[in-house]
Amino acid sequence: MAIVTEYYLLLSAAVFCIGLYGILTRESALLFLMSVELMLNAANINFVAFAFYWGNLTGQVFSLFTMALAAAEVAVGIGIILVLYRNFDGIDVTEAATMRW
Amino acid sequence: MTSRPRLATDVNYVNGIAALALFAVLAYVFVTAGLEPPRGFGEGSIVASIGYAMFDMLELVPDGHGTTEGFLVAFLTIAVVLDAALDGAVMLARRDDEGGSVQAATDGGRPVDGATDATETEATEPAGGDA
Repeated sequence: MAIVTEYYLLLSAAVFCIGLYGILTRESALLFLMSVELMLNAANINFVAFAFYWGNLTGQVFSLFTMALAAAEVAVGIGIILVLYRNFDGIDVTEAATMRW
Repeated sequence: MTSRPRLATDVNYVNGIAALALFAVLAYVFVTAGLEPPRGFGEGSIVASIGYAMFDMLELVPDGHGTTEGFLVAFLTIAVVLDAALDGAVMLARRDDEGGSVQAATDGGRPVDGATDATETEATEPAGGDA
């Protein structure tokens, strides 16, 4: 007895919308990163759900690559946040509004 | 004075309504999509098949797992990307004004000697907003 795919999709949509709300609302760069991770993981849930739906493992393998890309993105993102904190004395993303300062 | 997380009350509720509307649209589409029951995987270890697919050893994958493509090139590309991300993070995080070894600049939340103005103001800021 397998769980129907719609439930996975609803979970994925909920996680994605929570991440979207976090990006629209928050001003701290760290919470921005967390929200982006939520949206990426919503895509991962879809990959795994449809891999099970079609009986094809390619989605699961691809979700592993997505996780690795998310790790790389977080590494660079935290480096950027460090520079942001050093230059603006804070990690409020609304303060860093220009490319040069 | 701790700095535990508090429930944000000054949020923009329009954004919440927008996110909820998106969720409603997505949920409507998903529920009315008419998906069949999932096909599932056949016999055999799924984890082992993932490993075989990742290293182009497709002849070892059972037929029920449906993996018909190898991911060795993608695996190596991701390895290079992770390495580049590590280098980029180190390059961004390095202080170039000191020259010597990089010291941890954390103060643990306490005012310490030599703390900058930013940490001082941050340390005293939550005291005003505490109810």
